[in-house]
Amino acid sequence: MENLGSVHQLIVPLFGHNMVFNLEVIVMTWLVIFFLLFFGYLAARRKARLPEPIQATGELFISQLYSLTEDALGEDLAKRYSPMICGLFMFLLLSNWFGIFPLFEEPTKDLNTPLSLGLMGFFIAHYLGVKTKGIKKYTKAYFEPIFIMMPLNLIGELAKVVSISFRLFGNIMGGAIIILVVSHLTYSILFPPVLNAFFGLFVGTIQAFVFTMLTVVYISVQVK
Amino acid sequence: MEIDIQTWAKVAAYTGAGIAMGCGAVGAAIGEGYTAAQANFAISRNPEASGDIFKSMLVGQAIAESASIFALVIAMILLFSNFSGATTIAISTFLAAGLCMGLGAIGSGVGSGFPAGAACVGMARQPAMSGRLTTNMLIGSAVCQTPAIFALVTSFILLFTNFSDRPLSPTWAAIIGAGLASGLGAVGSGLGGGLVAETSCEGSARHPDTAPASTNLMLLGQAVTQTTAIYGLLISFILMFKQFPASDSLAPAMALLSAGLCMGIGAIGPGIGEGFTARSAVQYISRNPRAVAELTRTMLVGQAVAESTGIYALVISLVLIFVI
Amino acid sequence: MAIEGAEIIKAASFLGAGLAMGLGAIGPGIGEGMAAAKACEAIGKNPNEAGLLTRTMLVGQAVSESTGIYSLVIALLLLFVVS
Repeated sequence: MENLGSVHQLIVPLFGHNMVFNLEVIVMTWLVIFFLLFFGYLAARRKARLPEPIQATGELFISQLYSLTEDALGEDLAKRYSPMICGLFMFLLLSNWFGIFPLFEEPTKDLNTPLSLGLMGFFIAHYLGVKTKGIKKYTKAYFEPIFIMMPLNLIGELAKVVSISFRLFGNIMGGAIIILVVSHLTYSILFPPVLNAFFGLFVGTIQAFVFTMLTVVYISVQVK
Repeated sequence: MEIDIQTWAKVAAYTGAGIAMGCGAVGAAIGEGYTAAQANFAISRNPEASGDIFKSMLVGQAIAESASIFALVIAMILLFSNFSGATTIAISTFLAAGLCMGLGAIGSGVGSGFPAGAACVGMARQPAMSGRLTTNMLIGSAVCQTPAIFALVTSFILLFTNFSDRPLSPTWAAIIGAGLASGLGAVGSGLGGGLVAETSCEGSARHPDTAPASTNLMLLGQAVTQTTAIYGLLISFILMFKQFPASDSLAPAMALLSAGLCMGIGAIGPGIGEGFTARSAVQYISRNPRAVAELTRTMLVGQAVAESTGIYALVISLVLIFVI
Repeated sequence: MAIEGAEIIKAASFLGAGLAMGLGAIGPGIGEGMAAAKACEAIGKNPNEAGLLTRTMLVGQAVSESTGIYSLVIALLLLFVVS
């Protein structure tokens, strides 16, 4: 119980600053990426007219997320950005499910992972905003309704990144800590599988979907 | 007049027991009263179904009461605990446990009354659906009780963990903050979850063929509504299990107390608001079952955005704990 | 233990930050939830306009969230600038 929330860190001094690597998170992130690549390889290996289960699963992900993206962004942008959205969703889903395996940890339990994904969505949204609306109309949106609202509009945009990444972090971290504490209190009798099913599978799926949807929605607000 | 520590511990424990049972009775009483009122209304509409309605009223009230039974358990433990070895830190532990359970029982008690009332009215409308309605009500109210169970878990940890080897000065505030975070955080989610379950029961009775879809969406909506209560539980676990360095000054203690208060109060609004959202989504899924995909998506996005102020509260709490 | 003035100000600013964000989260939380509730109702009545309704909901929520963001700003100011 005492090592609650502690991680193995590799600290590299660099020009007077310390670069900190959270080793477990890096290893787990690469494991997730490896599993996803393997899944992608298996799903796309033989493109059969009558798909096998694994190909059907892959097609399900792609078609569902494509239609979600198309609803929000329109056809042109959806063709370009739905692979990113689909990849984001599959990465988050597998990451959130990772904690239910023994000895594995969710990469999303560390704030750095959701924060970097949130920043990625933020930069894509604003890049597309500038690109589709033009720099003048894009800048003008910050001075609505009157010009003195500019700082608050800016903070509002930054707060979106905070809320999207802390939502994922808080849910996954909260689930992990609750599983740890309750399992400890009940001597690991009966409760851990139920808690893992709820926090790992159910909440993990919902939060992966919410994160992906909000990224799409933030892009669509900037584009429209 | 010199008062020793045992006496102070007794004062804290008895005050805590009073708060636990006093606040804990408020919610259940309101919820059960609402159920009874709706049951009377239902019987006046359809006197033939009075047997079924009466049964379902009693079952629903029994569930709504469980939150206040949790409070009773905590109050009993506080009244009859062993004060002979009480340390100074135990004073705040007793008070925090009482506060946590008392506040935590309010939301779930009121919330569980809503589905029971709706189930009674639904039975008057569609007596043939009484089995399905009872199941739906039981599931909905049971999920409603989860925040109260979170508060119960926190109170038990507070009562049965030995905090005496921690430094007194910031730890007392951390303990009270933990109680407040978990207790206040349960209010909104309990209430919101009840609102969701109410319309699910109502919708199942109006449009029996959409009952499975309505139950599924209810569970999803309630799960998202409960996330703010989970944030409260997270903050209270951090406050209870993190070792804080000893310090004589007031500021660190206030920071920890304020972290608990911030997360606890901040969870109330989003919990209720998300409940409203899920309630409308569940209501309209039974009227227009074909819009299931659009409704689910809009509900999730709407709830996620409504939750963002709760997340700001979480951020401020984490800053208060880890940065300050 | 003598408590100095600066210490009290620091403690009060921490408490104030917590209260500002906590209380400030209630209103926007309920309000945004109601906005989303009405959007769900409208989509239930007219699913074809789901995209437009969702966008309107998000804009409305963003505006009603601004008071929550003011609380966040005040809380951060109290934590990092005042104390």
